Amino acid sequence: MAKMGLAFRDGFVDADGFRIRYQEAGKGPPLVHLHGAGGLRLTSAHDLLGCAFRVIALEMPGFGAVENQKTQTTADLATTMAAAAEALGISRFNLLGTSFGGTVASWMAVQRRDLVAALVLDAPSAIRPEGSEPVSGSPEEIARRLYAHPERVPPMPAVARALAARRLAIVRRLRGPGRDPMLEERLRGLGMPALVLFGTRDGVIPPAMGRVYIELIPNAHLVFVYDAGHALMVERPVAFTEVVTDFLQRTDAFIISRTKTVIYP
Amino acid sequence: MKVSYFETGRYRAPAEMPATWPMPAAAYDTREGVRVFRGMIERIAIAEKLGFDWVSLSEHHYSPRILTPSPMVAAAYVAARVHTIKIALLGPIISHSNPVRIAEELAMLDTIADGRLVVGLLRGTPNETLTYDLNPQESRERTDEGMELILKAWTEPRPFGWQGRHFRYRTVSVWPRPLQQPHPPTFALGTSREAGEFAARNRIGLGVSYGPFEVMGKVTGYYREQCARHGWEPGPDQLIFRANIILAETDAQAQRAMEVYPARAPFSLPEGVASALLTLDARNIAGEARSASINRALPINFFGSPDTVVDQFRRCREMIGAGVIDLGFNTPGTSDPAALLDALDLFGRTVLPRIRDI
Repeated sequence: MAKMGLAFRDGFVDADGFRIRYQEAGKGPPLVHLHGAGGLRLTSAHDLLGCAFRVIALEMPGFGAVENQKTQTTADLATTMAAAAEALGISRFNLLGTSFGGTVASWMAVQRRDLVAALVLDAPSAIRPEGSEPVSGSPEEIARRLYAHPERVPPMPAVARALAARRLAIVRRLRGPGRDPMLEERLRGLGMPALVLFGTRDGVIPPAMGRVYIELIPNAHLVFVYDAGHALMVERPVAFTEVVTDFLQRTDAFIISRTKTVIYP
Repeated sequence: MKVSYFETGRYRAPAEMPATWPMPAAAYDTREGVRVFRGMIERIAIAEKLGFDWVSLSEHHYSPRILTPSPMVAAAYVAARVHTIKIALLGPIISHSNPVRIAEELAMLDTIADGRLVVGLLRGTPNETLTYDLNPQESRERTDEGMELILKAWTEPRPFGWQGRHFRYRTVSVWPRPLQQPHPPTFALGTSREAGEFAARNRIGLGVSYGPFEVMGKVTGYYREQCARHGWEPGPDQLIFRANIILAETDAQAQRAMEVYPARAPFSLPEGVASALLTLDARNIAGEARSASINRALPINFFGSPDTVVDQFRRCREMIGAGVIDLGFNTPGTSDPAALLDALDLFGRTVLPRIRDI
């Protein structure tokens, strides 16, 4: 599908009182990515997305080298991240939010319709069943929760214990209730193209939560990625990128197949 | 114990018919075909009257042995003509077809049959990959994905897209939905580790076939272990065992029937094809590798007089734990519908009432 290993460059941007790290690569319409609870980590899906988009993966304050006690809610965090995109000179972009980043992306989409052209929620955690817990534990335990087939995924890079604890703490502090009536009410009025993806074997957020989003968001599309767990971009990068790219390029018309079935022309 | 009658069509092929699969279409007798489908309804009506719980149908191709390449069409016909017996499709071959289409047709059938449908999801015998030009090395994966997609298509209340490995759909929203909610009783069919794990993970039943009680017991034991791992326990109705039976008034008569029974492989393949398939089509029994069953005759698991057979059912129940036995009488593919009706009648009178409580 694409050559792998796009060269992402590191950068920093000042916004809303934070110094925000980001990684950027690719050419095309801008696509802003907000990472999950595990922090900013590039995957081969980022490389593949970079073939069609200018990918800007932002690191949310508190998930990197510097602590963040200032941000109080995911809605606040969304304000900060929108300011970061604007500070980069991007006035309109596609927004992709993964898991915890999906909650932040949902808030950004409802707050800043002027900025967000289309919204993609990748196994978002804005709507969770009761008792749902963020992923934590040893690298093996984390892999078992994140992936349908941990044995097929290369081991995760080691993360310093203090950093992992800090990320877990900020997720617990900010993630909000499993059902947030204020966010849900505002999602009902969302007018932009929206796509929600879940792995059929997501062990962190049940894929059935996907239904709730498409019941709330007008004209949203729900896509199941077969045989994938929570970390879709890691486990099924090609399948993930194909549908996300097609959706962002054609929005609602992405349901019309362009696959050729001719064998011998 | 519930009992199912496996209906295969009973096409009477002349003895000089070539034996290798696929059978030449030129050998097909159109009038015999008409008799097959008329007879099907008569036999099923008799099975229903005798108290059989289910009639089962299955999918095979390019051969007179089982004349229902579309079990859906056969089931629609049976549903319209026979009114109380449950209709078990054991089953459509999942890797052959568009899984969404299968989900739609099964939902239609369940509605037409007034909620009498039972569904088995099948990978198929090794020869079947040749039918529609599928790669045998992909058949397991296609089947697993197709099964999961069918369950999703039945249960998902809103349109959804599917990014699979073998299947991709941008928007699926099945009408009609099955009458039985959330879906008809459904079984993964097969003895492999993958079939057992799939069934356990998706909380559906398991159907096994033709092996000795001991080996099939290992398979159902593995399935139960996997169910426990997923936090549930299957009941006896969630296990089907399909087997052949030769029943006669006495053991000696059964023995004579056995002697004339043509022990022929169901779908005999030319040697070169068979050996190539054996290297490509990996099979296992509850995780233990075995070679695919190619060019081997099927065993007879139940054999003898009513007393003998009742004892065998008892042992079968203990060793396999299956609450539903799906029976091929006088071996499917052998002829003589009259002898079949005698065997059915004998079974209904002398065996069926005695195995209900097993």
